[in-house]
Amino acid sequence: MAIAAEIDHGHASHLKLQYQPGLPLPNGKLFMWLFLSTEIMFFAALIGVYIVMRFGAINWPSTHDVHLSEPVGAFNTFVLICSSVSIVLALECAKSNKASLAKIWILITLALGSVFLGVKMYEYNAKFSHGIYPATQLSRRIYERADLDYGSAARLRLNAVISPLAKLPPEDLTGDAEKDLKADQLALGLQLRKEFSGTNLVTLQRLADEIMPPASFARHAHGHAEVIGADHRWLQLPLHFPQGVDKVVYLRELLDSCKLPFVIPGGNMWASTYFLLTGFHAVHVIIGLIVFVLMLFMTLDVSRSVMIENVGLYWHFVDLVWIFLFPLLYLF
Amino acid sequence: MHDAGHSPQGHSGSHGHAADSHTDDHGIAKYVYVFIALCVLTGASFFTYSELWPYHHVPMVGRCFMMAVSCTKAMLVILFFMHLKYEADWKYVLTIPASIMSLLLIMALVPDVGMRVRRYSSERREHAAEPPKLYDKVQKELKAELSPAAEGHH
Repeated sequence: MAIAAEIDHGHASHLKLQYQPGLPLPNGKLFMWLFLSTEIMFFAALIGVYIVMRFGAINWPSTHDVHLSEPVGAFNTFVLICSSVSIVLALECAKSNKASLAKIWILITLALGSVFLGVKMYEYNAKFSHGIYPATQLSRRIYERADLDYGSAARLRLNAVISPLAKLPPEDLTGDAEKDLKADQLALGLQLRKEFSGTNLVTLQRLADEIMPPASFARHAHGHAEVIGADHRWLQLPLHFPQGVDKVVYLRELLDSCKLPFVIPGGNMWASTYFLLTGFHAVHVIIGLIVFVLMLFMTLDVSRSVMIENVGLYWHFVDLVWIFLFPLLYLF
Repeated sequence: MHDAGHSPQGHSGSHGHAADSHTDDHGIAKYVYVFIALCVLTGASFFTYSELWPYHHVPMVGRCFMMAVSCTKAMLVILFFMHLKYEADWKYVLTIPASIMSLLLIMALVPDVGMRVRRYSSERREHAAEPPKLYDKVQKELKAELSPAAEGHH
């Protein structure tokens, strides 16, 4: 703190102290900018490491291999831009002492932030439902190559699927749709275990491509590259194909229900970096949303304008990070 | 210590009035223009994903374009939404050291980029996910099997 002293004709007892801040801005705003400086370095390090990992990797999966949708990412970018505008309008309303209008804009920002988070949850769910998540060695389903390790993991999983079904009495495997599904899982599982029993790498690669077809195969049907054609050997099995459902689609659902390990070259590193970057960003979004909720209980008049400005700075930073994450994760 | 929070304009130095009066000068319209610009720029990034983008065969062109677009978007947000354009000179005290630190952080990764990208040690290659030539052959065969059917399908 700088101290200006005025000495009144040599009488030290009449000192007048005047406060003068180090930087000409409110303490809260100074804190927020210093905090954002550390945040910039935090995300700069994360993004920098991602770039090293991404371009240093021998193999990196395409966005379609890992079920990432570019239009969904673009939509989320648009949502965050809209929320940046709404928070800045809340600040302008507060400065003009329009407290109720400021609160409406904060509510809109809260809604937009929630939409962003909802879309992110939808995206995460799409990954989890396809077995893509940051996993330990024991629970992982992504394998880097169709080698003997992969074959062994597939056999272990097939045993886990088949064993309980094989113990069931025959009457428990025929009848309604649920029982038919169990019977089909058993039939397909037995066939797959037979095919996975070999150690031929060519066979293993073929099986891996059939279980999780690479996006480079181009032909897509119902979200999957159609490696399995209408005359595929697995369709010749005595399965209970439901009426009105495409046989290939049914077979694909049957394979998905077995939760077999699959091969995505570079997939584990992709999952680690994707969930780390978007996870940290989502944590920042959640913190912002909590603050917006708390602000709804305040009177957002001119006396709160500095606080709204600080929260706005934080929220704009969240938007800034996403501006870089969107092309890096979805479009590169 | 007295909190200057409720009277920022009183300490804004040579540009003291700037932080609070810029909206009077430019109005809400400024935010609308920035919003439109951000939407257009997001569309420009997304354009590299579309079929119409002419440089799909040179991915680096698209990536450089996207980074340029992202930097422009970031500048718009920082200057207008975060009001840095209208702030007094204190902004340099806070932003320049942070920028230098971030730049150093990124520069610290340059050796990694140089040594890892397109340079693979035998150990890395052995443990990497790269499919051996044998697998490539199998995938090519499988694609060849599928392609006549694909043409017929379309």
